[in-house]
Amino acid sequence: MSALPVRDEPAVPELLPKGAPLLEVEHLTMRFGGLVAIDDVSFVAGAQSITAIIGPNGAGKTTVFNCLTGFYKPTVGRLTLHHASGDVLLERMEGYRIAKQAGVARTFQNIRLFPRMTVLENLIVAQHNHLMRASGFTFLGLFGYRGYRQAERDAIEFARAWLDKVGLAERADWEAGALPYGAQRRLEIARAMCIHPTLLCLDEPAAGLNPRESAELNSLLIEIRDREKIGVLLIEHDMGVVMEISDRIVVLDYGRKIAEGTPDQVRNDPTVIRAYLGEEEKDELPGEIARDLGAGPGERG
Amino acid sequence: MAVADEALAGPRPLNWRAILIEAALTAFVVFLLTIALVGADIVDFSDTVTVRPRLNDVIAAVIIAFLGRIVLVLLREGRNRIVLATMVPLALATFLILLGGSLGIGADLRHLLPFRDPVVCWIIDGAMIVFALRALWTMRRAVKVTLSDEAREARADRTAARVQRVARMIGPLIFVAALALPLTPLANRQILDIGTLVMTYIMLGWGLNVVVGLAGLLDLGYVAFYAVGAYSFALLAQFFGLGFWTCLPFAGLMSGTAGVLLGFPVLRLRGDYLAIVTLGFGEMVRLILNNWQSLTGGPNGISGVPRPTFFGLPLLPFVPEGHESFFTFFHIPFTPEARIVFLYYVILGLAMITNLFTMRIRRLPIGRAWEALREDEIACRSLGINPRNTKLTAFGIGAMFAGFAGSFFATRQGFISPESFTFIESAVILAIVVLGGFGSQLGVVFAAIILIGLPEFFRELQLYRMLAFGAAMVTIMIWRPAGLLAHREPTLKLFGAKSRGGAK
Repeated sequence: MSALPVRDEPAVPELLPKGAPLLEVEHLTMRFGGLVAIDDVSFVAGAQSITAIIGPNGAGKTTVFNCLTGFYKPTVGRLTLHHASGDVLLERMEGYRIAKQAGVARTFQNIRLFPRMTVLENLIVAQHNHLMRASGFTFLGLFGYRGYRQAERDAIEFARAWLDKVGLAERADWEAGALPYGAQRRLEIARAMCIHPTLLCLDEPAAGLNPRESAELNSLLIEIRDREKIGVLLIEHDMGVVMEISDRIVVLDYGRKIAEGTPDQVRNDPTVIRAYLGEEEKDELPGEIARDLGAGPGERG
Repeated sequence: MAVADEALAGPRPLNWRAILIEAALTAFVVFLLTIALVGADIVDFSDTVTVRPRLNDVIAAVIIAFLGRIVLVLLREGRNRIVLATMVPLALATFLILLGGSLGIGADLRHLLPFRDPVVCWIIDGAMIVFALRALWTMRRAVKVTLSDEAREARADRTAARVQRVARMIGPLIFVAALALPLTPLANRQILDIGTLVMTYIMLGWGLNVVVGLAGLLDLGYVAFYAVGAYSFALLAQFFGLGFWTCLPFAGLMSGTAGVLLGFPVLRLRGDYLAIVTLGFGEMVRLILNNWQSLTGGPNGISGVPRPTFFGLPLLPFVPEGHESFFTFFHIPFTPEARIVFLYYVILGLAMITNLFTMRIRRLPIGRAWEALREDEIACRSLGINPRNTKLTAFGIGAMFAGFAGSFFATRQGFISPESFTFIESAVILAIVVLGGFGSQLGVVFAAIILIGLPEFFRELQLYRMLAFGAAMVTIMIWRPAGLLAHREPTLKLFGAKSRGGAK
């Protein structure tokens, strides 16, 4: 766990203090024709902390992510990213600029690596914009400009440091598509970190992981929060992961925010239990409570 | 170990009934195919058209298909010795008879051959030789012929990786051979012409490889940029009297711009849709050239395109008074071959520039971004890569090389017309890239030699040219669906030879 090499990245000029609002989502609404996928959701994700978005299937979690990362243009609402140097309005940005200029990185529910490129190349591609500048937008690089070669070496070092962190350094020259599933998940997180993000959005990072891999993921995310000092926003179904590492939890159901708070608050929130956790605990509940819950408005079959 | 066990256990006993049924079925299919196409020969007398039956040929075809199928089954069942014992004498006999026939010896023996047409007999002879080689090869390898698809694929991949390793040597070797070719006694006008043509297509293949192989954008209208390059040069020469070397950068620039302009509207399209639209663009460019009479001369084309000069010295027999030509300057007598050799070296130089440029750019951030875009556009966007600019640079750079090649084409021919830029040209260039293996530089060279060079050599067999072209395509698609040399070499390695010490 060596310290990362210091790099001249303009994306992170200085850090916001822990817990200060990093991402502010205000009145976010997303309609697809008549279908309201997200209905007036507002929440705040703090700097240097982990915020989880949970909710049953179809609650609109991934839609929130897609709005944040520019894949959808929200119908209504404002998405503000607070940098120490000033605020950025995400909803007005073109998709790729959100990663390039605002520094919002994301992973995908169904992993999206570059399967036929090597593990190392995946991480180098993530440093594309930095390397493009260093290569003089290809012109200097074509002639083997020394500054570019140095930048490339630095990029490889940086990638290597991340490969060490996620335990993939040995397999750096493998094709990414040949990695086992859990390793692909870790690689995707490492790749997202290689763009030097201020906010890391993870879409179900623990899906398909075994308990040991899940535990490793927890420590990786905590390390990212504490060492890299960036904000993490994650969607997750695995309650073990969510309850253990989240500083704050936002609960969505049918596109609406039904609760928000610390893990303890959310765990004991009756609305949440009814809408979401209730399903899991139903077997252990006494008969009359189960019947009461069954009559509730939020119950699902 | 399973393979070894089966090899020890020996081949299964043959089920002759099944084999005969299989062969009979094949023969029946051949009969259905040939009865109408081969069996009826339409004879055109001056006043009447009659159908003359050619049953002999049909019967011969059916018998050959029947026997050939049996040989195939024997090969499949690992009876290599029988195949070898029958195929070698037969192939040899056919070969000798055919050879004798073409030299005019032993004409009586020709009656032993199944077909009167020697070309067909040559093809059959070739098939027998292939069977024999296959048998010999499997015997030597002592591996069962029926490998699973994955195993065959993996083996081919390993071969490709090995080829790619040797490619570092093969590449320079081919280059040296190409460099030395005009100096060898082998070089005659035909060979140099074919060499020039093949290298033009190699250059086009390398250019298109940027768009199709690296960026994964299926472009069926590549010839449009070739045309833009050719016409840019021809028109600049016609209206402003500029020479080849002055126009070359302009032609590249014009084509590159055309590539970017045509790239804009198709940015959102992928795969089949992109292919269709680019095909349309290719035709549009040709139609514009065909119909803009006042500028391009329409179907009449542009003639008198100037030849390239050797540092300002024209390679012409006669020059105006007071000017020097290449020949008067060096005090050598005029030979028309000198111009051909010069053109050969010009295209060799241009192709090598294309090669070095594309190899280099692949290892730069933009090249990796192209490949990443080919793999997953959405992931690219999430990493802050601008898909629009990245795609447009791929289109532009690919088109630029087509433009260079186009102006070379114009200067070589001295005459251009829209006829030279039809869709079939795009298809051939794309076939070279696909057959060579997406993104493989050496594969393009081999594919261009196979698809352009060989048909030019065997021009006498022109009737069978497209047939052979199709057969080559089908064969390669069956055995190497990803192309001849489809092994991707990483652009950089952590555990490369250089950094191994520091890696652990």
